[in-house]
Formats: sequence, C-alpha cells, structure tokens
Amino acid sequence: MTALNGKQRDHSACSGCSLCLLACPVWHQTRDIRLTPHGRAKALQHGATAGEVAASIASCTLCGACAPACPEEIDLVGMMLELRKQQPLAPERVATKLNGSAKAVLRAGIASTLLLPGEGLREDTARLARIVRLLGDAVALADDDGSDIGLALEAGVAVDNERVARFLDGLRGATRLIVADGIMHYALRRLSPGMRIEGLGEALSTLAPVRARLRASDLYVIEPRAFHGDYARLIGHYDALRANSGCAMNLDLQRFAIPTTASSAQNALGLPGIDATAQARWILQGRSIERIVVEDIADAAVFARVSARPVVHLGDV
Amino acid sequence: MPHGVVIARNAAQVAALLKTAQAERVPVTVRGGGLTTEGESVAYGGVLLDMTGMSRVLEVDADRLTVRTEAGIFWASLAEVLRRDGLDYLSAPLNLTSTVGGTLGVGGIDVNSPRLGCSADQALALQLVTPTGEIVECSDTENAALFERAILGYGQFGVITEATLRIRRYTPIRMRYFYYSGLRTAIEDLQLLDRNDASDYCGILTMMDKAINLLVAFDSDEREAAFDANWQTRLRGSGEAGFALRMGLHYALRPWRLGEALYLWRRKRELFPEFRRPEHTRDGRMHDRAVVFSRAVWKFWGGRQMVIPDLATSAGKFADAVERGNAVCRRFFPHYTLYCVGIRLREDHRAHYEMSCIPPDALGWAYGCEFEPMIGDAVYSRDTLQSFKNAIYDIGVDIGGSYYRFGGMMKGYIRRALGDAVVERHLAMKRAADPAMILNRDVIF
Ligand SMILES: Cc1cc2nc3c(=O)[nH]c(=O)nc-3n(C[C@H](O)[C@H](O)[C@H](O)COP(=O)(O)OP(=O)(O)OC[C@H]3O[C@@H](n4cnc5c(N)ncnc54)[C@H](O)[C@@H]3O)c2cc1C
Ligand code: SF4
Ligand code: SF4
Repeated sequence: MTALNGKQRDHSACSGCSLCLLACPVWHQTRDIRLTPHGRAKALQHGATAGEVAASIASCTLCGACAPACPEEIDLVGMMLELRKQQPLAPERVATKLNGSAKAVLRAGIASTLLLPGEGLREDTARLARIVRLLGDAVALADDDGSDIGLALEAGVAVDNERVARFLDGLRGATRLIVADGIMHYALRRLSPGMRIEGLGEALSTLAPVRARLRASDLYVIEPRAFHGDYARLIGHYDALRANSGCAMNLDLQRFAIPTTASSAQNALGLPGIDATAQARWILQGRSIERIVVEDIADAAVFARVSARPVVHLGDV
Repeated sequence: MPHGVVIARNAAQVAALLKTAQAERVPVTVRGGGLTTEGESVAYGGVLLDMTGMSRVLEVDADRLTVRTEAGIFWASLAEVLRRDGLDYLSAPLNLTSTVGGTLGVGGIDVNSPRLGCSADQALALQLVTPTGEIVECSDTENAALFERAILGYGQFGVITEATLRIRRYTPIRMRYFYYSGLRTAIEDLQLLDRNDASDYCGILTMMDKAINLLVAFDSDEREAAFDANWQTRLRGSGEAGFALRMGLHYALRPWRLGEALYLWRRKRELFPEFRRPEHTRDGRMHDRAVVFSRAVWKFWGGRQMVIPDLATSAGKFADAVERGNAVCRRFFPHYTLYCVGIRLREDHRAHYEMSCIPPDALGWAYGCEFEPMIGDAVYSRDTLQSFKNAIYDIGVDIGGSYYRFGGMMKGYIRRALGDAVVERHLAMKRAADPAMILNRDVIF
C-alpha cells in the first residue's frame, strides 16, 4: 500500500515516533506499548504473527484516533481490521448477534437521504423519531442499518456476501447517508465510494437550530470514529462549531477526539476492555461545564454515571 | 536486542530490579521515549527498563507553580494534564514523545531555551533509584552531589523515577518570521535577540543555506510591542513577500539552479500550512505550539532512517561551527535543514553541565545546531551516514565545542571533546556508585 505522497502505508513504515500512543485510549489506561499501534507495528516489523500479538489485537477499541495521528500515514484502522480477521473477537458471540439483528426490520423508506441509526438509537424510538423530524422531510430511516455487519467487521468475523449485498441493496437510490454508528461510517465510505456519507453528529451539528442551542458552558462530545475516519475534512467543521458556540470539546492537544470507547465491540460483546467511565472522567477532568452534549447515544449513559451535570444527546439540545 | 524487557511500574520494583541486576551483574538499559539518536537507549543484551509504564502525574501545585510527576511520562501527556488547569511545562524537546526522565538525563532544548535554559534546568527535585537499588530524593539542597550527576547524566547515576518540575501558566503565542539568505547574518541577529532578552522564543530553521528563517515569538502583547519598538528594525531579515521576490530574482538569474528553486518552492508549500493550522490558531495566536512544531518535525523530518548529528559551542564560535557543518551537509546531501537555538545557562548549575552537551567555555548562553539531512525515500548506506556524522563531530573536536547527544554510537568523541581528566573523574564516580557497572553502561564510559 502506498499513499499519494509516496509514503509506505503499512506497518513496515512505522518510524516508532509514538505519536499514536498519545491519542490511544488503550495506552492511556494501560501504559503498555505492546497494546498500541507502535507496539504492533514494531512486532510485525520483526516478524511476529497475528497470533503472537493476539492480546494487542483484542485490546483495540477501533476509535480511530491513531490514524490521523500517524505522521507516516499508515492506515492503522485498516491494518487493525485486517489483523482482526486473523484473530477475531469472540466469533460465537458475534454469530449470535449476526443472526439476531439480521431479522430486525425498520420502517420502510427510500429517499435520497437515509439515516442509519445504529443499534443504540434504533431501540430508543421516541428519540429517534425526534431526530428524524429534526433532520427534515427529505430524510428517511433505512430499513436495514447494517449494525450486525458493523459489529462483525469490528470483531473481524466474516459476513456472507449475500448479507452485505442485501444491505447495500437497501441503500440503493440514496445519494446521502447519515450514519450514527462510527464503524459503519468507516465501512460505508469504503463500500459505497461516491456516496455522501456523514456521521449523525456532523449532520445534526450542521443544522442551524441545533448550532444555535449550543452554549459556551457545554462540553460537546464528538463521536470519535466518524470524526477520525474523515479527519482532514471534519476538523474544520468542528473547529468552526467550537469557535461559534464557545463550547469545550473532548479534543486532546493534538485535536483528536478522546473516546469513552462506550461503543466498542468489546462492550457490545461483554468482553473485558477499556474502562469507559475512567475515560469519561478524564474527559471531564479540570473542565468547568454545565451540560454535556453527546453525539453518540452510548456516551450518554457513561457520562451520566460520572457527572451530576445534565447529559443530552445532540438531537435533544 | 535485550534479553528481556521490564515495564517500570513503581520505584520499589525498579529498586528490586537494580539490586538483583547489581548482584548478578546483568546490564540494565533505561529507555524513556527512545528518541536520542546515538543509541543511548538501545540495549545490547541484558534488561531493557521501559520507563513509560511510570506515567502518572502525581501532584499539580498551581500556586507554587510546580508539578510532581512520574518520570516516564511523555512531555505531551504531561501537557495534557497541566492544560486542564491552564498550566504548561517550561520547555521540552519538540517531538511530543520524549519523556521527562530521558530529557532530564540529556538536557533538552526548545525554542524558549534562550530564555528559560535547557529542559533539565526546570527540575527542582528528583526521586532516583541508584544503581545499587536505593530510592533517594535529591535536589539542589538535598543530596546535592547526586542531583548534580543525575541531571544531564545520561542515566549513569540512577534511574529517575519521579521529578518535581517548575511549571508556568499556559499562554498561546504570537509568531513572527524573518527570512535571510546568509547563515552568519541570521545567527548574529539570533544572538542579538538572545542577549537582549528581546523575545520569548527564538530559533533558526533553514532550508539548506538558501532560505533561513529566524523564528521569533511572544507570550504577550507587551513583549511583542517592546520587540517592535526596540529590535525589529535592527534585524536584517526580510518579510515573507520581500524574501520570495528576492529568491525569485536570484533563481531567475541562475536558471541552471531550477531544481533547487523548485524544491524550495515545493517545500514551502507543504511546510508553511502546517505552522498555520486553523485548529491551532485563534485571534492570530498559535495554540499548543509544541504540538504544531512537533507534528511538523515528525511529518517532514521523521522516518525510519533519521540522522541528526549536532554541534554545541559557545556564542563566539557558533557561526563558524554552523558554516563548517553546513559545508559538510552540502557535500553529503542535496537537501537538509539546520536548526539553531541558544541555551541560557544557569551559573549555579555549572556543575550539572560538566559531563554534558554544554561546552565548558560557554558563558551566559551555549548554542546548538542540529544538522538534519532530508533523507525521504532515498537510501543511504550506514557507512555514508556514519561518515557524515563523523565529519560533523570532527568540527566539534577541532573548534573545542561539544555535542548535544552523547551516546554509545559516538563514544569515540567523548574523551576527545571533554578531555581525559573530566572523563576519568566521572568514571571513578560511576564505579563507586555502580560497582558492577550495570546501569546504561554502553552510553558514556
Ligand atoms: C524527531 C526528533 C526530534 C527531536 N527534537 C528535539 C528537540 O527539539 N530538542 C531536543 O532537545 N532534543 C530533540 N530530540 C532528541 C530527543 O528527543 C531528546 O534527546 C530527548 O530528550 C530524549 O528523551 P527520551 O525520553 O526519548 O530519552 P531516551 O532516548 O529514552 O533516553 C535518553 C537517555 O536517558 C536515559 N534515560 C531515559 N529515561 C531515564 C530515566 N527515567 N532515568 C534515567 N535515565 C533515563 C537513557 O538510558 C538514555 O541514556 C529529537 C529527537 C527526534 C528523534
Ligand atoms: S484505534 Fe483507538 S484504541 Fe485502537 S490502537 Fe488506534 S487509538 Fe488505540
Ligand atoms: S504514529 Fe505511526 S509511525 Fe508513529 S509509532 Fe505510531 S504507527 Fe508508528
């Protein structure tokens, strides 16, 4: 793999600069270099197999922060997804979920813009209805939002082609997708090149009524996967949002989003992983804020556990 | 390769490791960020002690402006914590991922070093695990001799497990750039600003010896206004537009140098936006300058094959040293960068500097220049790169200078630069402190 500027893009290009560590929640909580892109890349450079770095592969929350952090432009998320295929996360548990959610059918609707709400929002029907109204008449809910495919992709478990084809078929006719689940955002950008794909956070925070309701005393929590997956474009969007509203954001000094990791596959599958509440506490440390506004519905519960401040979804501001 | 790696978790564990290693005569190499470039933190056998496992900030005292931190922390991680309280460290290498302990051991230079000194000088106290496994607190007033040896001591006299550092209130900075076509003029102007405390940040960054950028920056409007009133007109550099015009004219008259002109133009187009990233700019001020500079350093100068020899001299010898080093760069590489900065010296810390990068004849300021070939995708043999480094280091010996980085790979220069007497005295101290010579034994002696 070679980037446009001629730099190699796989692990062999790793210079060992450690910038990925600074952005990585796994590093933040473990301080164990073996569980980081740097550690994995160096191990692979020296001939390690995926099996030999299995613990490292299992630890990654796929928040994507390391990818824009890497000055060698290594596709660290792509690299992790490839490694996961060799060392999948709890394949039996994923298989159960695959079967379960494939049966779920949502309200039908083909429109030029489709909203793929993801598992968390789909279950919260009242909120989902409010969000759809807010996004406007031109937006319809997708019948099938592919959450099971997203989980399988993240866990490294193969999904049969027929299932993927069925999912893509359901999107036919749409020119714009609003995707709440960050990992699906990543997948769809690759599966549907040419289609306009936005995170739900971006779509909502572009709306004037939503922007107008953000306050300087808010902590605005960006959903990290969609943000990091399209970082070069979205950093401008969020910087303008911050400048307009004056709110604080879950950005670190490099301007990458600090994730709670609440939406990781480890959480969905009940596997041991990063302590999301500790991440939320770190995001809050030293900040005097009055309200927490989250893009990812899974973050709401995490912040509610560690803060007495009101926590609202962006669709409810 | 080491025989094993231990991730440091606390001082007691490090002490137990060193006691056993001392008894069994097992070498222990300490690694922080591993960014020193002369193999200082590379282990050839024995145990590699990875200090990044000790990365917690222990106490921030916003009133006294101090922080107590575990020493394996990256400067960038320390800054993350301090910034939540509107605070910042004083100075650190511009790479984000060197550690506090590794930097206190080697010195550390930043673009505010002309004012604030080397990074090691911001240490007020250390917790040290000696090579025989005692856990000792040291500072200018407590176990002062040990403190003297540990600071800028390349980890010879103990593992730094905790450090108390001076800190300050965070400020965004306002940057100004002046462009020169001659190295000597730019260096004279740099030294003029340093001598007169005319700016808060000051350094030179070049594209070969063609586009020489004197970078000046300020923490406050008052300091910038004073600079404008007193010093700006005395600088001989031009602004960006004027310099571009002069360069255009220069290359128009020398069409056979078109390749070089194109390189400079391309480089400028890639590099300049990095220093003006909108998400790091508010009201004309740069926020988190260390991030902006360091990310640019990694992006444009980083890579798997990095070679950064350097020279450190007194103020008077500096321009000669840089010009001679520049001639060496020209001989070896088509493209390279020079990075020059002054280091304010603390008279009361002179003893700390004895076995370090600070040349003994430097008074008030020492000056450092890094010679950084832009290797990119080119492949050079190890021999070529080593010859290049030797050619730079030879200049240091010749003019009675020193080097920012001492380490295993340039051991041959240590006695030549510092003299047998100093090295023998430190070797005797090392033997007394570390009878089995286990700790970082391939670095200096
Ligand atoms: C891209 C790049 C940019 C750089 N920019 C700068 C710059 O702007 N300014 C600058 O000053 N330097 C710069 N350097 C050099 C390097 O960053 C510094 O030398 C840095 O301070 C080294 O810190 P480290 O944590 O990486 O130390 P290491 O390389 O890990 O260790 C340095 C030495 O200290 C010892 N050591 C490490 N930790 C401890 C400890 N806790 N206790 C005792 N001994 C210890 C090691 O054994 C070794 O001898 C740069 C290097 C690179 C690669
Ligand atoms: S994706 Fe996130 S958790 Fe995984 S290595 Fe990168 S930064 Fe760490
Ligand atoms: S940021 Fe990229 S180049 Fe640097 S250590 Fe991580 S993976 Fe390697």
